[in-house]
Amino acid sequence: MFDTALTVNDLLLLARGAGMTLLVTAISVFFGTILGIVFGVFRYQVGPWWAAPLTFILDIFRSIPLLIQLVLANAFITTVLGFRISGFSVACGVLSLYTAAYCAEIVRGGIEAVPQTLRRAARSLGMTWGQDMTSVVLPLATRVALPSWIGLALGVMKDSALVYIVQVVELLKSTQILITRLQEPLFLLMICGLFYFLISFPIARFGGYLEKRWSND
Amino acid sequence: MRTALFTAGLLAATTLALPAQADKLDDIIASGVLRCAVVLDFPPMGSRDENNNPIGFDVDYCNDLAAALGVTAEVVETTFPERIPALMSGSVDVAVASTSDTLERAKTVGFSIPYYSFENAVVANEKVEMATWEDMKGKVVGATAGTYEAIWLEGKVKDWGEGEFRPYQTQADVFLALSQGQLDATVATVEVSEANVKSGNFPGIKIVDKAPMVPDYVALITLREEYGLINYMNLFINQQVRTGRYNELYKKWVGEEEPASLIVDGVYR
Amino acid sequence: MFNYSFRWNQALNSLPEMLQGALVTMEIAILSMVIGISIALLLTLFRLSRNRVLSSIAATWVEIARNTPALFQIYMVHFGLGGFGIHLSPYLSLLIGIAFNNAGYLTENFRGALKAIPETQTRAARSLGMTPIQAFKNVIMPQMLRISFLPMTNQMVWAILMTSLGAVVAMNTDLYGVTSELNARTFRTFEFFAIAAVIFYVITKVITLSARLLAARLFRY
Repeated sequence: MFDTALTVNDLLLLARGAGMTLLVTAISVFFGTILGIVFGVFRYQVGPWWAAPLTFILDIFRSIPLLIQLVLANAFITTVLGFRISGFSVACGVLSLYTAAYCAEIVRGGIEAVPQTLRRAARSLGMTWGQDMTSVVLPLATRVALPSWIGLALGVMKDSALVYIVQVVELLKSTQILITRLQEPLFLLMICGLFYFLISFPIARFGGYLEKRWSND
Repeated sequence: MRTALFTAGLLAATTLALPAQADKLDDIIASGVLRCAVVLDFPPMGSRDENNNPIGFDVDYCNDLAAALGVTAEVVETTFPERIPALMSGSVDVAVASTSDTLERAKTVGFSIPYYSFENAVVANEKVEMATWEDMKGKVVGATAGTYEAIWLEGKVKDWGEGEFRPYQTQADVFLALSQGQLDATVATVEVSEANVKSGNFPGIKIVDKAPMVPDYVALITLREEYGLINYMNLFINQQVRTGRYNELYKKWVGEEEPASLIVDGVYR
Repeated sequence: MFNYSFRWNQALNSLPEMLQGALVTMEIAILSMVIGISIALLLTLFRLSRNRVLSSIAATWVEIARNTPALFQIYMVHFGLGGFGIHLSPYLSLLIGIAFNNAGYLTENFRGALKAIPETQTRAARSLGMTPIQAFKNVIMPQMLRISFLPMTNQMVWAILMTSLGAVVAMNTDLYGVTSELNARTFRTFEFFAIAAVIFYVITKVITLSARLLAARLFRY
C-alpha cells in the first residue's frame, strides 16, 4: 500500500489544495461570523415578529444542501445575470452566508443565555445599551457560544470540500487530480482524510475542553 | 490579494450589469488570451504530466487554435458534466473537450464541425463471462455521467429492462469500480480503454468488444450565438486536417495507424 | 431584464421524476436515522462500559465521523470497502455512509444528554435490583432521548442534506441524482437546481414540523 508513485511535486499540489481549503474556510468564517453577529443581535433586538423576513432567509441556507446552493448561486450570477466572477468568489460568498446563517443562531442563543435580570441591573447602574452589550453580554455570551462556534468553523472547513463544484481546486479536488494520474485512489484519499482529521481533531478537542471548563463554574 | 478579489467581486455584484458584449472573436483577440475548457482525466485527449501540467491531444489542439488567433492559450480544467456550465457561465471561451455533437446540446451551445471521432469499446471485469457487447444485458454497468457513451448505455439498459446503470462522476471512478468488481462492464472510448488496460493501474479488466454505436464525432463548442467564432473554428479544423497537423497530433498522442475520417458519407455538413 | 432565456416548462415537465427522487431522498434520510440512532445507542453503551476495547471502538467511530467530511466518508464506504471485496450498491453506500455519520454525531449528543441526568438515578435503579442494561433501558435512555430530541431533529435535517452527496458513488435515483442527470442532459442548470432547492426546502420543513408535533405528543407531562 505504501509503495507509491507520489513525488514531491505531487505533495506540493496537495499542500496547495490544503492551503486553498484553509483560505476559503478562513475567509468564509471571518465574514460569516461578522454577518452572523450582526444578524443574531438584530434578531434578538427587534423580536421574532420584525425579524421574520431575515429568519426566513437565513433558514433557507440551513434547509438546502450546500452543493445546490453553490450550483445555484454560480448559475444565477454567471449565467442568468451574466457577471464575470471567479468560482473562488462564488464559493467564499455562498460559504460566508451559509456560515452566517448558523452563526446567527449561535449568537442569539448566547445572548438569550445571559439572564435578563443581570442586564437590567447593568442598565440601572447607568450603562448604555452599548456598554451593556460589550461589558456584560459579550463576555457571558461568548462563554456559551464559543464551543458551538468552534464546531461551526470546523463544520465549514469540512463542508468547503464541496466548492470543487465551482472549479475551486481545494484539497479534495487536488486529491482527485492526483488520483486520476496515479490511480492510487484509496491511498491518496487516506492522506486527504488524515489531513482533515489532523486539523479538525485537536481543535474539536480544544472546544470540548473549553466547554467542560466553562460549564463548571 | 484573494480577499481583494473577493471584495471586488462583491462590489461588482452590487453595481449594474456590464454593457452588451462585442463579438467573442474580437474579445479574444483583444484580450490576448484564449481560455479553453479541457477535461484532464481523459487520456490521451487530456491528462497531466508528472509535474501536474496539462498535456494531451485536446491541450495541443487548444494551443494550436490560440496560435492561429495570435493569442496565448489558457487551459481551464473541467469535468465532463461541468464543461458546458463553465462555457455558459463565461469562465471559458471555448471547450476543447471531446464534446459529442448531440442535438440536445445544440439547443444550448454552438458546435463547430467535428475535429475528432471516437469509437467506443466494451470493457469488462475479467471475472465476468462476456464475449460480445450484448452480454452486458442484465449486468451492472456504468460510465462517466453526462457523456455520449453514458447516455447510450443508460438507454440500452432501459431498453433491456434488466440490469443496472451507474453514472460515476469521473472516468477514474468508473475504472476503479470496474477493477474492484463493483461494475461488471463499462463503455469507454477505445483510446481510453487501451491506455487503462495497458497502464496496469486497474488490474483485472479486459476489452471485450467494440460498442455498436454510431461513431462518436466530437466538436469544439462555444456560445450558441457566436457565429463569428464558430465560423473561424470550422475553418481552423479544416486547416488542421489539410496541413497534416491532425495526423501529426494523432501519431503523437494516439497511435501509428491512420486517424479516423472526419467525413460523413452521403451528406453535407 | 436578463440576457438569458428561462425554460421553466422544460424543467417543470420533469417534476414528476424529481418528486420521485424526493421520495427516495426521504426514504434514505429516515432509514439512515433509524440505523444511526440504533448504532448510537449501542456506541453509548460501549462508552459507558468499562471495557477498554469497546469504549475505544466508540471513541474512534465518533472522532472519524465528526472530524472528516461526509463526502469523504460516503466515498470511502463505496470504494474503500470495495477494495476489500465488499460491494455495496450506490443506494446502500449512501445509506450506510450517512448512517455512519449520524451515529457519530448522535453518540456525541447522547453523551451531552447523559451529563444532564444525575448518576444517582442509575444507582437508585441498580439498588432496586435492575441489571445495568435494565437501568439504562428503563431509566436513563428515555430521558436521554427526550433531552436530545432537538439535536436529533437537526441531525435528521443534516441527513436529508447529506443525500445530495450520493453523486460521488453513482447514486442517480435520489433528488440530487435525478436533478444532476437532467442537468447533464439539458444544461438548464439554474432551472433544474432552483426546483430541486424548493423541494429540498419543503422536505426539511415537513420533517422539522412533524418532529415538533411528534415531540409534543411524546413528551407530554
